[in-house]
Amino acid sequence: MTADRLAAEESAGGSIVDVALTVNGRSAPVRVEARRTLSDVLREDVGLTGTHLGCEHGVCGACTVLIDGQPARSCLLLAAQVDGAEITTIEGLAEPDGTLHPIQQAMMQAHGFQCAFCAPGFLMSAVALLADNPQPTRSEIREELAGNLCRCTGYQSIVDGVEIAVRRMNGDSSGGSS
Amino acid sequence: MTAPGHPQARENRSGLVGQSVRRVEDDRLLTGAGVFVADRNPDGVLHAVFVRSPLAHARITSIDVAAARRAPGVVAVITGAEMAEMTHPFPPFLMLPGLYTPLFHALSADKVRLVGDPVAVVIAESRYLAEDAADLVDVDYEPLPTVASIAEALSPTSEPLWAKAGGNVMMDHTDTFGDVDAVFAAADRVITERFDCPRQSNQPMETRGSLVEVDAATGHLTIHNATQSSHLLRWAVAALTGKQRTTTALKRFITNKQRRRAFFAGAKQFVGTNRDGLKEQDNAGPLAQLKKDRSFLGHMNKIAVGLLGKDDYPTVKAQDIGGGFGSKGPVAREDIALAAAATSLGRSVKWIEDRTENLMDGGQAREESLTVSIAVDSDGTFRAMRVDLIIDQGAYPGFPIGAPLITKMMKVMFPGAYRWDAFEIRSRVVATNKGRYIPYRGPWANETWARERMIDVVADALGMTPAEIRLHNMIGADDLPTSMVTGPSIDETMSTKQTLERALELIDMDQFERDRVAAAASGRRLGLGIACYHEAAPGPPEFWDCIHPGTGMLTPEEAHTTVEADGSVLVYTQQMPHGQSHETTYAQVAADELGVRIDDVTIVSGDTDRTPFGFAGTGGSRGGPIGAGAVRTTAREVRRQLIESAAGMLEASPDDIEIVDGNIHVAGVPARGVTVAEVARRAADDGASGDLHGAPFEVADVYNGAGDGGWSVATHVCIVDIDLGTGLVTFPRYLVVEDCGPIIHPAVVDGQVRGGVAQGIGAVLYERTTYDEDANLQAATYMDYLVPTAMEIPEIEVHHLETLSPGENDFRGVGEGGMVGAPAAITNAIEHALGARVTTQYLPPTKILELAGVIVPG
Amino acid sequence: MKPAPFTYHRPETLDDALDLLATHGDDAKVLAGGQSLIPLMALRMGRPGHVVDIGRIAGLDSITVGADGDVTIGALVRHEQTRTSTDVATHAPLIATAMPWVAHRAIRSRGTVLGSIAHGDPAAEMPAVVLATEPTLIARSSSGVREIAAADFFHGYLDTALRADEILTEVRFPAWSPNAVGAVVEVARRHGDYALVGMAAMLTVDGDTISSAALAYFGAASTAIRVPDAEQALVGATVSADTFDAAAAIVSAELSPPPDIHASAAYRRHLAGVLTVRGLSAATAEIGADA
Ligand SMILES: Cc1cc2nc3c(=O)[nH]c(=O)nc-3n(C[C@H](O)[C@H](O)[C@H](O)COP(=O)(O)OP(=O)(O)OC[C@H]3O[C@@H](n4cnc5c(N)ncnc54)[C@H](O)[C@@H]3O)c2cc1C
Ligand code: FES
Ligand code: FES
Repeated sequence: MTADRLAAEESAGGSIVDVALTVNGRSAPVRVEARRTLSDVLREDVGLTGTHLGCEHGVCGACTVLIDGQPARSCLLLAAQVDGAEITTIEGLAEPDGTLHPIQQAMMQAHGFQCAFCAPGFLMSAVALLADNPQPTRSEIREELAGNLCRCTGYQSIVDGVEIAVRRMNGDSSGGSS
Repeated sequence: MTAPGHPQARENRSGLVGQSVRRVEDDRLLTGAGVFVADRNPDGVLHAVFVRSPLAHARITSIDVAAARRAPGVVAVITGAEMAEMTHPFPPFLMLPGLYTPLFHALSADKVRLVGDPVAVVIAESRYLAEDAADLVDVDYEPLPTVASIAEALSPTSEPLWAKAGGNVMMDHTDTFGDVDAVFAAADRVITERFDCPRQSNQPMETRGSLVEVDAATGHLTIHNATQSSHLLRWAVAALTGKQRTTTALKRFITNKQRRRAFFAGAKQFVGTNRDGLKEQDNAGPLAQLKKDRSFLGHMNKIAVGLLGKDDYPTVKAQDIGGGFGSKGPVAREDIALAAAATSLGRSVKWIEDRTENLMDGGQAREESLTVSIAVDSDGTFRAMRVDLIIDQGAYPGFPIGAPLITKMMKVMFPGAYRWDAFEIRSRVVATNKGRYIPYRGPWANETWARERMIDVVADALGMTPAEIRLHNMIGADDLPTSMVTGPSIDETMSTKQTLERALELIDMDQFERDRVAAAASGRRLGLGIACYHEAAPGPPEFWDCIHPGTGMLTPEEAHTTVEADGSVLVYTQQMPHGQSHETTYAQVAADELGVRIDDVTIVSGDTDRTPFGFAGTGGSRGGPIGAGAVRTTAREVRRQLIESAAGMLEASPDDIEIVDGNIHVAGVPARGVTVAEVARRAADDGASGDLHGAPFEVADVYNGAGDGGWSVATHVCIVDIDLGTGLVTFPRYLVVEDCGPIIHPAVVDGQVRGGVAQGIGAVLYERTTYDEDANLQAATYMDYLVPTAMEIPEIEVHHLETLSPGENDFRGVGEGGMVGAPAAITNAIEHALGARVTTQYLPPTKILELAGVIVPG
Repeated sequence: MKPAPFTYHRPETLDDALDLLATHGDDAKVLAGGQSLIPLMALRMGRPGHVVDIGRIAGLDSITVGADGDVTIGALVRHEQTRTSTDVATHAPLIATAMPWVAHRAIRSRGTVLGSIAHGDPAAEMPAVVLATEPTLIARSSSGVREIAAADFFHGYLDTALRADEILTEVRFPAWSPNAVGAVVEVARRHGDYALVGMAAMLTVDGDTISSAALAYFGAASTAIRVPDAEQALVGATVSADTFDAAAAIVSAELSPPPDIHASAAYRRHLAGVLTVRGLSAATAEIGADA
């Protein structure tokens, strides 16, 4: 952040807060305007741009991240609200050695996405779903993913991808074919 | 669901074409490592926010930006009047007979014409601070009467949006094919119906956005932009921001050798690519424009002079793009304002459109009224069709392509895959106080909607089934060769009839009838709808000239294929992928042609410094037929050169040599081969270095698709299930039988089809860019503009025919058809279910129950 | 689409929070889950000078079952918590039934049940559940505690009995009678959207006779709303299709819902009737007394 921005923010009339985030296991302390949303802080202050913004008012789900394991819209939270929380973004899905998360592998196999602007949100929603319900039915998958909009795919390939992930995570390493 | 291995695929050297190989793009996009324009945050970048009109139509009486300029973090506030000093207006791009195109600036200075019209731009240290300051800009407006509908725009007393237009009708032109009057008079019956399609919006998940970086030392602009056509944007920015005094410009041009060289190279490139097209331009269009407004001549001169005197043209770079569906093809007013602002400040500036801005003016589409008359004989034979088309283009015309050209596409495609003796279409374009009408996936699609809807109406009147009347009139193999009544020739690639026949086999009509009866007993209504279409993908050689003489110049496309000294293959394309998986499919095509592994091929796109010139970018279902054709022809020539070089090393005749997995060898003796890398290294050591990219092997070629490919076709059949209690519509079955010829990547094709169908479902059941009677936007957030979710979109079956054509490059476009067919199939099914005439494309639950007679329209 | 600047407060105790509200009055807003407040602020339709984030106040996040089976929900209990809680499923089942209709999981995981009640959106589920089940709403300010009856709570569009200096700290739902059955039904344009119209119903049934009825509609007026005439028609009647049709006819006749871009008034009125029948059928199906 530039000194100019900081100075301007200090005179903008709102609070400046220190926020201690842990993002993908790494501590990420930031000093920001209290009005900054978690999504903007992740993208602009922490530098993790994998979390996307499609609407900034809670409908599209592109900004979905996990907060202490629970999915949430990062555009509908002030970073200050989640001071101290553990946040997982798409950048944190793969193992430290680069091994992809089963959901990432499955989406590749299923050709789940096209432009993939929506993908970060879908992947985080799917991870949250599978954590709670390791064997969802196809209609449960659709219902759970209904909080995320995709304009390119018509959703079928994304649902296929989650099904493949379910099979992979339940020991069928082939994941079946799409 | 595709059987790979059509003959062409079997011949492929690496056998990649025809397979759903893993997407190259996914490695970065599924790990969060993609780079979209919003992801670029260079140090010290400034953020722009546009001050937008809250009124639909008003005169600006004063604008006070003093408080905004003083606000924390504000670096500049530029008003419309100031912007007009820095930029040229958008000139008329395609002057068509009977058309007037108004001239307009990046920001409005005197008058606003829609809710969201930009009147100033604030540039500050953060988006937050810029929004704070934008709130402080004080604009006084004097409201004007608004024009909110086609009907109002047609009224001679409506308040004109554009002073020189002489009313709000911007174009009125009739095209006639055959003796329509005589055929109508001779036919047994004439049936007429009017169809209205409300306004929709493209709505990619990523909004528009631009980051203009300024090189502090040279002033050179690098524009990172979510654009479907980087070269178009480069030229538009160069042209519209080059404002300077004529004498200065000419002096600069004459004294700057580098500038002269660049200009002539650019001009040569442009004219070389478009020679035939430029010759065919006629004068009727410019004359129509001149009659109303001569000012464009002066502006065009100044633009040309400005281009001559510009030190250099910007570089446009686009990397990952989050969808477009047509909306990122046009050049945005904001793009021009941003480049001008960055230039004047000498600092990098970024603008990422927010969703409300996107809903206001990020691109709207399809608002059309279509009155269709069909002259038909009692046996169901179609004789002639007459159409009265009116498009609501909103306030500002799309640049470069908007409603006027789309009327021409509709003109050519309207007759569909059927036999007609005559056809006539009157096309009008009107201006209203709404967002810009621009191309949206299958921009001409409402010809299919209105025609296929009308065919059901005619079938109903004659007591035929929708399938019977279609089969009776559809062009089949026996009719070939033939041509559409509007001109384009038809060959075996127009297999629409086969797709219909196949679709009908896939539906168990007896079962459907039984389900229908059962559903009726429980307060539900089932209906089945059919829609058939063909689209030019790329169409026959004369296709674009049938649309409008001279527009064919947009068809040809250049590609470069190189082999670097390390053996890697680079393919440079003017295409600008934004979800279509070009990095994978073009690599498949190039790897197959060359005989190398897919991992050895990299596709280069989006960077105007590196990629071949082309205005078309990605759109119009051209990626397969034209773009991939260019890749294939250049790769083929590179292969020939590689083999020729290797022939000496292998002491064999080139005819006996093949390339497999990057190994060049005499057929059957791979052990004694040399690798592509070895041949490339040797050539580089011998000093081979191409002009364009400095690679040892380098081939550039322009491909025009002429004679290859042809039509891409499909039949959609859907069954709807309507709950008469709630008016909710579900889809027990949706199936598409499509034929885009040989398939490069089945999963990509299926994805394109399904995505298009989903947008069609959205159009009919969920999405509407609603304005009230005073042209206030009512759907300005995603709570009100309803993009459907995974719960609303059903499973969509996709079946393929793969009709081959005799052409060299047989890939045919598939990006648009899903959206072209779906609205017709769905509205036809709903009419069938309810037994009530459907004349609008938007059928929310209220409308469904009104049609069903359950509630009274209110 | 970014919020305007504000002074951010994150009090650790309820008293501190109440003091802040007392000091800043109308210029302050309570921030609970933020799922309604933040989007309003991002659109700059709301621009409080002070935001009082109650998220760190201890003791507000519990669901407590009282000795006689009443259920008290605190101000920081998230929607998702009530969807998965067995206590809620057992003792306040209408809340659990409502939850799958509320938005999407990523919103429910942050949004609070009391926030939804305090926000008072006429198309939201919880206000109707409140009207149907008649809990006691407990509001605190630095000057004391008020108990507000459900019937007195919703005043108009996004307008409730709460004063600017008050926090709704808990809502106490009365014990769920063993004879009670209930249902929440709705139609929305898309899955997870606010309802076009919905109904939360609670009946008590003796044998196959309805002994009490509460029908609360959302999306049908400027607040959630009950239709007493329809309820009276149900009381004393037997569980049957005719009974439900009669109630539905009264509902459709008495409600005059507003039109908007998503549905006409006539549609909403019709839908309220349809949902009355469907909701009552669903409610009574649960006890095996299907109409
Ligand atoms: C896309 C989307 C879809 C949604 N769909 C639905 C839906 O279908 N149904 C539905 O019911 N909701 C829906 N919601 C809203 C969601 O349920 C919210 O969580 C809820 O309305 C408000 O709860 P909150 O805790 O987030 O409140 P906040 O947003 O924090 O606050 C909302 C308002 O209530 C006030 N407030 C909050 N808590 C208190 C308190 N304890 N005391 C006094 N005042 C308080 C605040 O000051 C503010 O004015 C949706 C939201 C989004 C973004
Ligand atoms: S950006 Fe957060 S939900 Fe759309
Ligand atoms: S893949 Fe483009 S929005 Fe989902």
